[in-house]
Amino acid sequence: MRLADALFRGGHLSEQALVEVCMTGDRPAHVDRCDICADRAVELGRWLDDVRATEIASADAAFPPERLAAQHSQILRRLEQLDQPSRVIAFPRHYRLDERQHTGRRIAPAWVGVGVAAGLVVGVIGGQISARFGRVSPAAIDAAVTAPSPTAAESAKDIAAISKHDAEESDGVRVFALDPGVVLASYREPQTAGGR
Amino acid sequence: MTGDAVPPAVTTRELDARVAIDVKALQAAGRLDEARERFGELVGRHQRRAARIAVHYVRDAADADEAVQDAFIKAYMHLGSFREELPFEVWFTRILINGCLDRLKSKKRRERWIAPPPTDANGVERDPAENLPSGGPSPEDRVLADERKRQLSAALATLPERQRLVFMLSHFDGQTSREVSAVTGLNESTVRVHLFRAIRRLRAILGTSAASTGSVRGRTSRAAR
Repeated sequence: MRLADALFRGGHLSEQALVEVCMTGDRPAHVDRCDICADRAVELGRWLDDVRATEIASADAAFPPERLAAQHSQILRRLEQLDQPSRVIAFPRHYRLDERQHTGRRIAPAWVGVGVAAGLVVGVIGGQISARFGRVSPAAIDAAVTAPSPTAAESAKDIAAISKHDAEESDGVRVFALDPGVVLASYREPQTAGGR
Repeated sequence: MTGDAVPPAVTTRELDARVAIDVKALQAAGRLDEARERFGELVGRHQRRAARIAVHYVRDAADADEAVQDAFIKAYMHLGSFREELPFEVWFTRILINGCLDRLKSKKRRERWIAPPPTDANGVERDPAENLPSGGPSPEDRVLADERKRQLSAALATLPERQRLVFMLSHFDGQTSREVSAVTGLNESTVRVHLFRAIRRLRAILGTSAASTGSVRGRTSRAAR
């Protein structure tokens, strides 16, 4: 008998000792002598059996023999798949050959790059040349803008003549030119007799 | 020495070890059909036990089915790492439990994103298959049995993981403390402590219902004595 059992439990076995009795089957001498502990051990054993039976019944209900058989065959099938080397689908090689025959000679990709670079260089140089030699000088542009066109000069002369004629006809009339190149019109004070 | 000496009886463990060694040799020799056939014997011998452990652990038949299948596949693939000094049962149980643990973890992650299944007024999950007629026990017995299973299942779910594992292996699977220690990697005395704590806790939770059934049976047996 353990000292702790003698001191604290009046000589009876602890719960842990009883569990060990039930689980291992080792029966201490005290259980044979003490009816109380024997009853406790029996009651605990019965409770454990009840729990075990309930759990095993629920597990077996979830896995009836048919399901186990199906599971067995499924495991073997998966193992068979595992052992077989994975199959590789062959690429349709003859189609590719036909395509090559139709396309003729193949150009190396490096040459395509060289061609693109050369085109770029030629384009840049051509652009520079055309910008340099095809440009009009600013002085020429200014001269073209300021110089009156012969047509405008003639029309200005005509308008001036008409204006002069009109002014003679009617005093105090302002003549406006429609041509923007010509500013016109002089306003003449009506000639009075007083000479103002 | 006499010629009629009876050969010693081969235990299941020795038989398992022999089959495992044979399968390993056949795999190495490239005779895979034979290897699979031999491995099928191991599957047949350990399948029910594995299914029980998996159901207890993951609490779902479909998950348990997959866990058992995966464990056997993994065992076949890694049979090269199996050491003969360790029983095949212990080695395989370790693979199975690790698989179940992984499954539980991923299930918990999944359940964060999935709406809970329909339940009745008591919060019990309703299984549509329950409505199908069957020629089994009476409805009353079935209800009582279901209720007991539900209570036990709920009580087991409250146990900490190690206690539950130790209780399951030693009580449901009938393994000794040494075997449980080999499977779990825990010390033998730690296994015993976990087992005792698990039983104490379960008795505290299920005490009333189990005591009632126990007392009836106890009275009957004492009367018989």
